[in-house]
Amino acid sequence: MDQHQTPSFFIRGPSAFTRFFFFSMLSLLLMASDSRFNYLVGVRQTLMVVLQPLQVVADSPFVLSRNIQSYFANQQSLQKEVKKLNERLLIQGAQLQALESLKLENQNLRDLGNAAKASKQAAHIAEIMYMGRDPFTHRVVINVGTNQNVTLGQAAIDASGLVGQVTRVFPYSSEVTLLTDQELSIPIQVERNGLRAIAFGSGKSGMVDIPYLPANVDIKEGDRLVTSGIDGVYPAGLAVATVESIKSNPSSPFAKITAKPLAGIQNHRLILLIDMPAKNVVMEEIKHTLAADKAQQKKSMSTTEKKP
Amino acid sequence: MRLNSHRMVYISLLLALIFQLLPWSGVWVQIKPDFVLLVLLYWMLRAPHLCNIGTAWCAGLMIDLVNGDLFGQNALAYALTAFIAVIYQKRLILFTVLQQSGYVFLLLFINQLTLLMLKLFMDSKQFSFLYFVSCLSSILLWHLVVNARWGIANRSPDQQ
Repeated sequence: MDQHQTPSFFIRGPSAFTRFFFFSMLSLLLMASDSRFNYLVGVRQTLMVVLQPLQVVADSPFVLSRNIQSYFANQQSLQKEVKKLNERLLIQGAQLQALESLKLENQNLRDLGNAAKASKQAAHIAEIMYMGRDPFTHRVVINVGTNQNVTLGQAAIDASGLVGQVTRVFPYSSEVTLLTDQELSIPIQVERNGLRAIAFGSGKSGMVDIPYLPANVDIKEGDRLVTSGIDGVYPAGLAVATVESIKSNPSSPFAKITAKPLAGIQNHRLILLIDMPAKNVVMEEIKHTLAADKAQQKKSMSTTEKKP
Repeated sequence: MRLNSHRMVYISLLLALIFQLLPWSGVWVQIKPDFVLLVLLYWMLRAPHLCNIGTAWCAGLMIDLVNGDLFGQNALAYALTAFIAVIYQKRLILFTVLQQSGYVFLLLFINQLTLLMLKLFMDSKQFSFLYFVSCLSSILLWHLVVNARWGIANRSPDQQ
């Protein structure tokens, strides 16, 4: 052991200021190229693979504790859970039967109208590994990536509604931006009256904003918002949020509408990734809905004309 | 194994990164101390010939990567903090333990402030004072663990 190295009174090499100047220039260069161009996607993916073992190590105590917990789960609680699940299965089975018949009916109607067949979505389950450190951004990293056929832009849902969208993919992990992030916008539809709008993440407090709607718009507190499906990213009909408050400001022509996401965004571990519908299907669907809207409008106009 | 060696620096940084990667959730995300920066500051104040601005910059890049932030954001903030830490490092030996903690707190605050400004420049439009909570938890951790256990001023004999 060499205890007697030469004492370092002075830091050898370039001065602190030179080092700082060099590295700050380097990071400014990186930031500019990362935000304006897409040069660094490959670099990011490669480095992410290198960091993968670290993530596995960090996650392992929690995986282990969960495994131990499930191993030692006692019989009583298991029986209780089986009973609960059986009850739920029964209820959902009944609902599914109704759904099957509705699906058939819908298909028949679509056939009649020569519309596109509704798409069937493939889905895979993913587990949330960790959340970003930054309270500004609402992103989570999940444990599946391109090697498990995850693609950019897939919608992420849980049992109660839409969670967000896959915004970055790496070989063994990917990044989901939650719908409360201010960078995410989702085309929605009010379930009650079919009104279409766009919901934006509010960035803070786990809420969703719906700007650009006039103050006299027909939205009530408690209305359910679902995806409209006309963007080709999110399949139609996924639950997004319920309207929580509507405020109108006399100085602004727009209402300030906030809604609360239905999915338990902060407190679940498992999410489901679903593929986006194929492009031609979406186009057909858009045409179909627009035609239907027009027909309805005409109808309502003619009825109002008749009334007087 | 000697305490002040490159191997120790990199092992401790790796451990800090693993701590950073633990599945934090809910309110803990905001309270979570900045483990990597604390370890960096410890080594920079104790042995600047082992861990310097370059090391801090590389560690910041790793943080950018795992957080999914813009490349270079954390790296720049870490580099600036490291620069300030290193230029006053020689004077630190005269400080008392409490003064050292104060100095480290200032550095942590500068880091958060730089990061916040970069984020506000780049994309974010929001500001919340909760952002600085991690400074407090970090300094608490520093005071409890570093000052109580391996103070930076009591140098081993192979150090000046």
